[in-house]
Amino acid sequence: MGYVAAKGGLEAIRAAEELVRRRRNSGTSPWLETSQLTERLRLAVDRVIGEGGLWAPDLAARAFRQAEGDVIEASHLVRSYRSTLPRLAYSEPVDMDHLEVLRRIVPAYRNPPGPQLLGRTLDYTGRLIDFTPDDVAQAAANCEAPTEAEEGPAADADTASDDAARRPGRLYRMLRDLDLVVDRTNPDDPEPYDITRQPARPGAPRSARLSTMARAETGALVQLWYRNILGPDNHLHEITLGEVRHGHLPVPVAHPRTGRPVAIGRVRVTEVEAIEDLDGIDEDGSRFDVGYGLCFGHNERKAIAMANLDISVHRDRGRSALEQSVLQTTDGLDASGFLEHLKLPHYVTFRSMVERKMARRSDEARGRAQAVHGLGGDEPDPELNNEELCR
Amino acid sequence: MSESTSAGSPTAELSPERRAELLALAPADALVALAEQCLLDDDLVVIAGPEVGMVMLTVREPIALERFHLGEVLVTRAEVERAGARGWCMRLGDDRLATLAAAVLDAEVGARGGQADAVVALCLATERDHDAEAEREWRDLAPTEVRFDELD
Repeated sequence: MGYVAAKGGLEAIRAAEELVRRRRNSGTSPWLETSQLTERLRLAVDRVIGEGGLWAPDLAARAFRQAEGDVIEASHLVRSYRSTLPRLAYSEPVDMDHLEVLRRIVPAYRNPPGPQLLGRTLDYTGRLIDFTPDDVAQAAANCEAPTEAEEGPAADADTASDDAARRPGRLYRMLRDLDLVVDRTNPDDPEPYDITRQPARPGAPRSARLSTMARAETGALVQLWYRNILGPDNHLHEITLGEVRHGHLPVPVAHPRTGRPVAIGRVRVTEVEAIEDLDGIDEDGSRFDVGYGLCFGHNERKAIAMANLDISVHRDRGRSALEQSVLQTTDGLDASGFLEHLKLPHYVTFRSMVERKMARRSDEARGRAQAVHGLGGDEPDPELNNEELCR
Repeated sequence: MSESTSAGSPTAELSPERRAELLALAPADALVALAEQCLLDDDLVVIAGPEVGMVMLTVREPIALERFHLGEVLVTRAEVERAGARGWCMRLGDDRLATLAAAVLDAEVGARGGQADAVVALCLATERDHDAEAEREWRDLAPTEVRFDELD
């Protein structure tokens, strides 16, 4: 067997691409508008945004449709597009107290500052498939849509304008005021690490870990969290959640003439604080510590896993491979790209492996022949061809 | 984030930052229609863009007060000059026409052009629409507030 350079398959690739396009875009169902995706399948679109690392809902919906509903493939499309764009500015650092909540729960404490709002969530809904006939559901939806005439002032207008309701205080601050959390304030205010310019490796600052997890693949973070809770790694406690928030966050940039901040719009994010009960021999057991999670869109699973892993890596202080796992194995594109490349032709690789097997068998046969015929024995194994034996 | 100021004529009611915020939110068709009115005299120099790009969104997390990059945001930016006044706009998403129109309107106010009051009126209407949307949003959210009862 020898190595032969080969080419081909271009026409087949084109035909496969065309088959995907035709099957996706044609058919008997109505054309799938991107607005349907952003309104009705928002959680999937939010995952594409988060894992693509680019807040662009319409673009993410378009990618999701093009990828036939494959979140990672859609994220890949978004990241590819992103790589063609210039970075026009950095935002002013956003104080997370400016988050305007659409949902906020505090699992650790019943009476936190500000309300606990369940908001738009499936958490408390029975896991039963809704078999309402489509025409009935559609008619009901039409009845539920408010008309302009019906839209009077808000039911509780005072509360609507109340910052305490939309920007509630944090349980963390209550704990800090009670001196129940370790002071993690970093007075150096280091420049944030930019993972889009330089891959993060173990030893990178915390800002690199937070950025890495913010655009990590949701399943990878959940798996890493679970492996550490119940699996062999065991670096995690079952942490109590302080805050779980989903809401609007402004995007402030400096005005080019005045230098003062201008909120050019807002994005939706999910934010989580995870309270850790410190119990290590080198830790302050009279206080708690807190991990932090934040990601684009509404993705509580991801933000919870991120907050848990943030505090775990902090406590681990490089003693195990946890930091490496977070930094180097949670990116969906990295992992899927490596996995999916296995589908590409590996003819040369595999051929070389076959040849090594053949050579080994040849050596073994020669050894057996020598054992039978003595040291000088050179009787060939009739099952092996002479060409291979002579290599 | 910025706040409106209130003094004198409508054009004085908005700080440059608040005007930029509201032009970034205003409906695209209204921006374009009004910009076309402004440009009847053909006095416009495009200084930059309209260009689609990204803003890196940096946040300061509340635990250690450290900054980190959350991710990027798709934006369109344009800057123009009109009658000696600069106009600037940056909007979320990919919409070159609306962004260029908004920059024209920003310059129109800076130059105190004939449509300046109309631009401010559009900004104030946008602000009212935004507030009304916030109220509608709260109307949906308020009933989901959890109120606990103490058990005896």
